[in-house]
Amino acid sequence: MKITKQQRRDAKQLFRGCVVNGLLDEDRARRVVGQVVAQKPRGYVAILAHFLRLVKLDVARRTAKIESAIQLPENLRASVQANLERRYGPGLNVSFSQNAGLIGGLRVQVGSDVYEGSIRARLAELAESF
Amino acid sequence: MSNLLQEIEAQIAGVKTSVAKQNVGTVREIGDGVAKIEGLTDAMLNEMLDFGNGVTGLALNLEETEVGAIILGDYTGIKEGQEVRTTGKLLQVPVGKGLLGRVVNALGQPVDGKGPVKSEASYPVEKIAPGIIRRKSVSQPVQTGIMAIDAMIPIGRGQRELIIGDRSTGKTTIGIDTIISNARQNKAAEAAGDKEYRPLYSIYVGVGQKQSNIARVVNVLEEAGAMPYTIVVVASASDSATNQYLAPFAGCAMGEWFMDNAMDALIIYDDLSKHAVAYRQVSLVLKRPSGREAYPGDVFYLHSRLLERSARLNEKYGNGSLTALPIIETQLGDVSAYIPTNVISITDGQIYLETDLFYQGVRPAISVGLSVSRVGSAAQIKAMKQVAGRIKLDLAQFRELAAFAQFGSDLDAATQAKIERGKRIVEVFKQPQYNPISVEVQAAVLWAAQNGYFDDVAVEKVKDCQNKLTEYLTTRKSQLTVKIAKEKALSDALTAELKAAVTEFKQTYK
Repeated sequence: MKITKQQRRDAKQLFRGCVVNGLLDEDRARRVVGQVVAQKPRGYVAILAHFLRLVKLDVARRTAKIESAIQLPENLRASVQANLERRYGPGLNVSFSQNAGLIGGLRVQVGSDVYEGSIRARLAELAESF
Repeated sequence: MSNLLQEIEAQIAGVKTSVAKQNVGTVREIGDGVAKIEGLTDAMLNEMLDFGNGVTGLALNLEETEVGAIILGDYTGIKEGQEVRTTGKLLQVPVGKGLLGRVVNALGQPVDGKGPVKSEASYPVEKIAPGIIRRKSVSQPVQTGIMAIDAMIPIGRGQRELIIGDRSTGKTTIGIDTIISNARQNKAAEAAGDKEYRPLYSIYVGVGQKQSNIARVVNVLEEAGAMPYTIVVVASASDSATNQYLAPFAGCAMGEWFMDNAMDALIIYDDLSKHAVAYRQVSLVLKRPSGREAYPGDVFYLHSRLLERSARLNEKYGNGSLTALPIIETQLGDVSAYIPTNVISITDGQIYLETDLFYQGVRPAISVGLSVSRVGSAAQIKAMKQVAGRIKLDLAQFRELAAFAQFGSDLDAATQAKIERGKRIVEVFKQPQYNPISVEVQAAVLWAAQNGYFDDVAVEKVKDCQNKLTEYLTTRKSQLTVKIAKEKALSDALTAELKAAVTEFKQTYK
């Protein structure tokens, strides 16, 4: 979708308005979308599309995806979560998932940071070194 | 004690985690050799990015939510959504003497089928030019072997001299001639065991050229025996615009290694007009704002930061140098276009080649009026200064008077003499391609021309007379040329000897 600089700026401004103490306020975001849809300013679809993208990136930045080959015990989950929060601050959405393809170990992704500790990654590294 | 050490080592090994932190992103858009990548929050400018499967990219645009990267190599295998990792490394190319005699691409990978390049070091492609503290003014000559250049537009080691002209006016030939001339001098000095002589290594960077042209250049260099002192960096017209944009910087990094290691190098960028066009293409697909002629705003900085890396270092920093001969192709002789004016203002002078002169048979077709060397005269050897000091003025006067003479008005004897002398000097400066002349012979021939020894020779016979004189000097009077080369100046005794030799030659010449 073609988006103008002004629309991009407007979306950014709306997004900034939804951030409280450095964290995205979900309620505000919902209200903003509702208001824009109701008022239908010029190019509102493009503005909302860009707003969505900004929210998506922010959510990705504050989401920790923890993959493991097997189900993690509760105490390990808690310690991983605590460690991540200590490093990335509060407001982190932590999601645990199982991926047998990892063979063993953990793969943690927070935003664009990846902590790769899986057997699969090590094997891939080994294969590359050949 | 050894037990304790082992214990500590074991402890450290136990603490060391095998988990490595990586910064990743996903490809959002790919096309025209440029990828837009979401994520990669820690990417650095000019950092190499790993696309997997051996494909690397270069981060050029760091934006708020994404990174714009150019792909080095084949981008057709990259898909949307693919994961990209940062490597923490800036783009580097192999450097060193192992590259001499090789033909490599913009990444320093061999393309000549002679096996892998042997190099122990690598240099970043982008580097800040040496500062004023490390520099020294130009004082040693680069002998191009082209008489018109060495006499009137001398080039010094560490200088940047632009070669500018229309298509097919002999721009590349000047560069190739210079490489051949210096390779011959290097070889001669090696054979003579001259420890004083500083060899000049050459780097030829071909940007956006036809592969056949580059093959021809390599062939000429091989035939002339210049390849052992030369590196050829190729980004031909069939290479991607990104490789064409990087090639001059890669070549420059290879030249800088020689400079940093107390050696002298010469780099020829053939040509920077096509380099600017490649950069314009990269910038436009990266959606950078365009300016005049659709070039991006930083096209001046592109060339200034490249050419500024050519320098002469002072003794404290090894006394090395990197001389640059950038080439610019003009359209219909228009030197006031955007890129030509930019590069003219960056360089320390230019050699302007004219189409008209070329078709009149004046080859090299150097326009004396428009060509200039701003710093090279400090590097000219004394013998050359003595004989060539007035030649540029004489030629300029000749051109002025020749214009008057066209009206057929009666001329006084002095004017007539000036015109006749001018005609002969023009003849003397004509020189076939790939045939450099040594500086001592140049000095002797110019001395003969300046002192009227060609005045009684018919204009069409001047070249023949000059060739025979050269042959006479190099065979029967080789002692004299050796003396001129050694003393580097025409002392009274040497002048007398030269006079006797030329007079003797003139008596036998018919």
